[in-house]
Amino acid sequence: MALVEIRDVHKTFGKVEVLKGVSLDVEEGEIVTIIGRSGSGKSTLLRCINALETVDSGEIRVEGERVHARMPDLKAFRQRVGIVFQAFNLFPHLKVERNITLAPLLTGRIDKARARALAEDVLTRVGLADKIDAWPEQLSGGQQQRVAIARCLAMAPHLMLFDEVTSALDPELVGEVLKVMEAMAKQGMTMILVTHEMGFARNVADRIVFMHQGRVWEQGPPAKLFANPETPELASFIASAK
Amino acid sequence: MNFLPLWRYQNQLIDGAIVTLELTVIAALAGLLIGVAGAVALNGRITPLRWLVRGYIELFRNTPSLIQIFIVFFVLPNFGLKLPAFEAAAVALSLYFGAYSVEIIRAGLDSVPKNQIEAGQCLGLSGWQVFRHILLPPALRNAYPAVTSQFVLLLLGTSLASQVAADELFHVAGFIESRTYRSFEVYAVICVVYFAMAMSFKALFAIIGLAAFRWPRRR
Repeated sequence: MALVEIRDVHKTFGKVEVLKGVSLDVEEGEIVTIIGRSGSGKSTLLRCINALETVDSGEIRVEGERVHARMPDLKAFRQRVGIVFQAFNLFPHLKVERNITLAPLLTGRIDKARARALAEDVLTRVGLADKIDAWPEQLSGGQQQRVAIARCLAMAPHLMLFDEVTSALDPELVGEVLKVMEAMAKQGMTMILVTHEMGFARNVADRIVFMHQGRVWEQGPPAKLFANPETPELASFIASAK
Repeated sequence: MNFLPLWRYQNQLIDGAIVTLELTVIAALAGLLIGVAGAVALNGRITPLRWLVRGYIELFRNTPSLIQIFIVFFVLPNFGLKLPAFEAAAVALSLYFGAYSVEIIRAGLDSVPKNQIEAGQCLGLSGWQVFRHILLPPALRNAYPAVTSQFVLLLLGTSLASQVAADELFHVAGFIESRTYRSFEVYAVICVVYFAMAMSFKALFAIIGLAAFRWPRRR
């Protein structure tokens, strides 16, 4: 059984059908990168996996459990599925440590005595142990995004979703975030990424999924997909992304 | 001009100032609770409740608060709710302050980016936890300047309670005036007292603000 099973998912916003029957499996430990033009439905698909959006028809299962906004253990589910956003979304009124420990404490994952050690641990994994007492506003965009990743890691998720996490960063800060993600990939984290970083998609992903007009248009290992795109849409996308 | 005849009334003046402070603080705390609850209701999904809160706000913001105090003091007894002057004024002023607080706090809540709520939900927090730990602190910071200036208006507005004979500062001044016929002097004195109280609160709020909202502002 795949960790994530997506079956014929449709999603409409108003009159615009954003997802027109998407099916996709993601195995445990797999790194899947979703690429495609703006409006192709990639971010929406990611948000459906985390029940931030509810699918109109079809179904999504994570670890065998059917995902939807009214699932009875939605809160527990969300602790198993981490998501990192383009805009970091750190809590500005909490220091880095508290940003990381708030959810583990409130959901009873850890007790107070262990909170700081947990924050130190996950911050070390993103290379920011020295920023534990900083305010988010004192950090660069790249550092804020790494803290956001650390905040997810503190929940020990089984699956991590990344929604264009480097798109809001200055070019010189992109590398530090990608490096952290690459390290996570090497440690066996299951990851689904929506990204415009073709270099990262090519070098780190196990599989590339090209979405076009609300459908999975083409997918396969990066080497094959980038070298020999089967569809003209993917070929033109790769050409324009270079 | 002669302030000496007022000297023997200093205890009454102090007591009056204390009652004014009590009235202000009670109405402010109750009003703030109304404000938070009302703001949540206004942003909520229960339509009749939203209408109710909206009607309450418009009613209390568009009528004289003196009449609001009169209604609580003179009219509610006809419906079985008989309150002494201080309590009646406290209720009316709470509702008055609450009506303004709802709008102020709602604006504060609306000023917090929606992605903050999403981030909280995605960490597995409940609706209440998101509200309490993620939404409310920045919202209160954004609402704080407006709340504090409204508080000073409330402090000055408590003088209206004199009209139902609550023993606050303005009422005490009227009493002293009737005894001494020193109108200018007595009102000059309580004017200074109001001014001093208002300025003290402003200083206090500035200190509280610095202590409570320590995180750096968004650039």
